[in-house]
Amino acid sequence: MEFDVFHNLATGFAAALSLKNLGFALLGCLLGTLIGVLPGIGPIPTIAMLLPITFGLEPLSALIMLAGIYYGAQYGGSTTSILVNIPGEAGSIVTTLDGHPMARQGRAGAALGVAALGSFFAGCVGTVFIAAFGPPLAALAQQFNSPDYFSLMVLGLVTAVVLAHGSVVKAVGMVLVGLLLGLVGTDVNSGLTRYTFGISAIWDGIDFLPLVIGMFGIVEIIRNLEQRQLHRVPVSARIRDLWPSGQDFRDSWRPVLRGTALGSLLGILPGGGAVLAAFASYTVEKKMADEPGRFGKGAIEGVAGPEAANNAGAQTSFIPLLTLGLPSNAIMALMMGAMIIQGIQPGSAVMTKHPDLFWGMVASMWIGNAMLLVINLPLIGLWVRLLSVPYRLLYPAILLFCVIGVYSINTNVAQLVITAIFAVFGYVLMRFGCEPAPLVLGFILGPLMEENLRRSLVLSRGDPMIFLERPISAVLLAMTLAVVAMIVLPQIRRTREEAFQE
Amino acid sequence: MVRVRSPQDLGAGAAFLLIGAAGAYFGNDLAFGTASRMGPGYFPTLLSWLIIGIGVIVGFRGLTIEGPAIEPIQLRPILFVVAAILMFGYLLDTIGLALTAIVLTTVAAYARRDASLGEALLLGAGLALFAVLVFVYALSQPLPAWWGR
Repeated sequence: MEFDVFHNLATGFAAALSLKNLGFALLGCLLGTLIGVLPGIGPIPTIAMLLPITFGLEPLSALIMLAGIYYGAQYGGSTTSILVNIPGEAGSIVTTLDGHPMARQGRAGAALGVAALGSFFAGCVGTVFIAAFGPPLAALAQQFNSPDYFSLMVLGLVTAVVLAHGSVVKAVGMVLVGLLLGLVGTDVNSGLTRYTFGISAIWDGIDFLPLVIGMFGIVEIIRNLEQRQLHRVPVSARIRDLWPSGQDFRDSWRPVLRGTALGSLLGILPGGGAVLAAFASYTVEKKMADEPGRFGKGAIEGVAGPEAANNAGAQTSFIPLLTLGLPSNAIMALMMGAMIIQGIQPGSAVMTKHPDLFWGMVASMWIGNAMLLVINLPLIGLWVRLLSVPYRLLYPAILLFCVIGVYSINTNVAQLVITAIFAVFGYVLMRFGCEPAPLVLGFILGPLMEENLRRSLVLSRGDPMIFLERPISAVLLAMTLAVVAMIVLPQIRRTREEAFQE
Repeated sequence: MVRVRSPQDLGAGAAFLLIGAAGAYFGNDLAFGTASRMGPGYFPTLLSWLIIGIGVIVGFRGLTIEGPAIEPIQLRPILFVVAAILMFGYLLDTIGLALTAIVLTTVAAYARRDASLGEALLLGAGLALFAVLVFVYALSQPLPAWWGR
């Protein structure tokens, strides 16, 4: 494989630097920062809400904008974590631990500056990571056959379940329910409809958007409304000198490097991504510190490391999707949905069939990160003022945009009914302690898993041993087993529980 | 005497059992086929039974391992939010996006106990204007702005 990374990156920059695509990158970054700042709406419902608008765009523009929302949210989330102790987004929960104490000591500027610069650095490294590791992984994926793909999906789903927070058994259950929901509609092989109950709106399967908007967007609104006190935030933090001091730089460059490395690696893992990376980095920094006691009281290392890690993780979590066609978390499942809607099957073929799309996206991530640095630092005051918009004015707007998004798919009332059903369904399951993210992963992989299982068993004439006889598949299953063994071992289990405790 | 130790787990177990049972029951008339020639019912049936298995495990844990209680379900937010969604769907074609947006905003506002009608109408008018300008005119989404198209 003679993939010339730099030549490819040049092609990518050429595609991404067109005026139109720059515009979409900017729009995505702005929207991402906005929702990152606002508590009560995360990147998942936002991306879902905006999907219908991207139908009419070129694939590259659509993906650039959606990706911008994802990493823009990481930046915006850290701003509010530091200034008002409210993580606008899950990846920046850790940042509140030391970022907000820093702000209270009058060092908000230093915290924000280090967070932004660390994130920018991590974003750059993440981009290079994708450029370097994408092609070899895609080349490997071209050796894959149906049994290998099936085992890959098993590995991906199992790892995602183990790394997600909450009960593992329930997460497995949610994945299975997702897989089953993914099968609703016409079976491509027999032409028979399954579980449609004669409802024509789901003959082609349950649409992705009503499910995601219902289970994430609407459930989130309902849950926020249940809180008696709708939070209003006193914004008192003043931001003086935004630039960190020389001492701050000396204290934080090592955590940034470590966080970037950790985030880049964890981002690639299925189920990994920004949230896990941030938690892991915080734990590492605390372990390595000379005086761990400073953590939680405004240690700059506790901001620098996790901020770098969550951005690197956000970036590299695109790798499994773009090279193997395997979404590693719910946001990547959405990106996969967006690609499929655009007629692009994610996987190793993206790089060979649509090189400008792949490299354009990689390049746009770097551009987006640079934009975010520029948008964020000078505009922090504006973003923070947005926080004072009370939730009672915010949620009707969010609800309206969610509903318009769902209705725009095919102007069918049935989609709204399905949204409402999934909202209630997701709400009830949430009450039982079941998270919706694994279900979405299963949902998007359901048809693919069935097809690959079918093809594998046709190849082997019904002998399931084929999954162990093919070397790639056997290795993937062995890895799955190792992951399962990990969760059973009590020591690792305890660490996992600690890591997810806020 | 059986005692519920983790209501959340017991509830989740029951939910999984129900979903799995529904999957198996309604997938019953789909041909199962054999492993080498999987019928349309093969994978769904397999999944349904796995879900039932998970339901049993989770439910059993609910009876044996101590766990958190289920937070009480508040009906008001769910009912009003769901009503707002459904009304939007049924009204949009007849009265257009602008008026529907106002209706949705107002109904949604009452998901809170201390809603104010005046504020809701004002917010609704603002959002209606924004939605019509952005979604109908700027993005040309297939939505009628006014009644009767």
